[in-house]
Amino acid sequence: MGFNTGASGSSLQSEINITPLVDVVLVLLIIFMVVVPLLMKGYDVDMPQTSAEPARTEEAQLILSIGPTTCPILKPPAGEGVPADCRVSLDDQTIPAAELPTRVAQILGRQPTEKRVLFLAADDSLNYEGVLRIIDLAKSGVEDLKIEFVSTH
Amino acid sequence: MRLGEPAKIQAAINITPLVDVVLVLLIIFMVMAPQMRKGPDVNLPNTTKPSDQGDERGRILVSIDDAGRLWINDQQVEAEHFGDALRAAVGTETEPKVVIRGDARLNFREVRQAMLAIEQAGFRGVGLVAKPAGAKGE
Repeated sequence: MGFNTGASGSSLQSEINITPLVDVVLVLLIIFMVVVPLLMKGYDVDMPQTSAEPARTEEAQLILSIGPTTCPILKPPAGEGVPADCRVSLDDQTIPAAELPTRVAQILGRQPTEKRVLFLAADDSLNYEGVLRIIDLAKSGVEDLKIEFVSTH
Repeated sequence: MRLGEPAKIQAAINITPLVDVVLVLLIIFMVMAPQMRKGPDVNLPNTTKPSDQGDERGRILVSIDDAGRLWINDQQVEAEHFGDALRAAVGTETEPKVVIRGDARLNFREVRQAMLAIEQAGFRGVGLVAKPAGAKGE
């Protein structure tokens, strides 16, 4: 026995310790399982109720309108962002779309979050991706900006 | 010398089969993840910074393909039955959230009409799905 204790105590462990590997893999598995249903990204928008709330007009509404003559995005825009020749009308002023984030920030930045509403009137003939990119631009100016679509008809 | 000793008991659990199973599960999830989306193939618009669209629970997918056809989850729906089909899709869901997957090549008209139809079916607010620029897949 005396010989044995020394020998068995220092016997080499020839197996790889896979416990950390299992940990990592399990965590990865859980991350994937949780993230997969959440992968969808987009923009929350509102349609104003057609019948109700005409009373809101007394407050100043910030209206962004996009027309096909000043902002000719009729096909999916190439590359990223909004084409440079796109001009939009914000609060009755025509500005290049690229100025949108700063203008929106100027006008709505100091408002409380619940009043940060941008009313959007987009022409029917515009390309959907172009409209989304303009929404993206407007939203990049201020946090928690709420977008409401205005029926142009 | 050892003959008299009892057979050594192996105290560690053999986790190799567990690892096998977990690895296979992981691979299955990685492969299936892009295909788990419901609805038709839609060429989603590219934007810079779309925000998260919340949980999958209660989410109703309305897809508009490049021909302007409407789909609710996996099923194509005619425009005249859209409202009823949408309400049917909600079922017993208490907090439904309607999410529009519109094709990038569409005109805004088709999307606006779908939004109007969704609103007429009694839903307030929709999500417009986009993918972050540079993202692959869908």
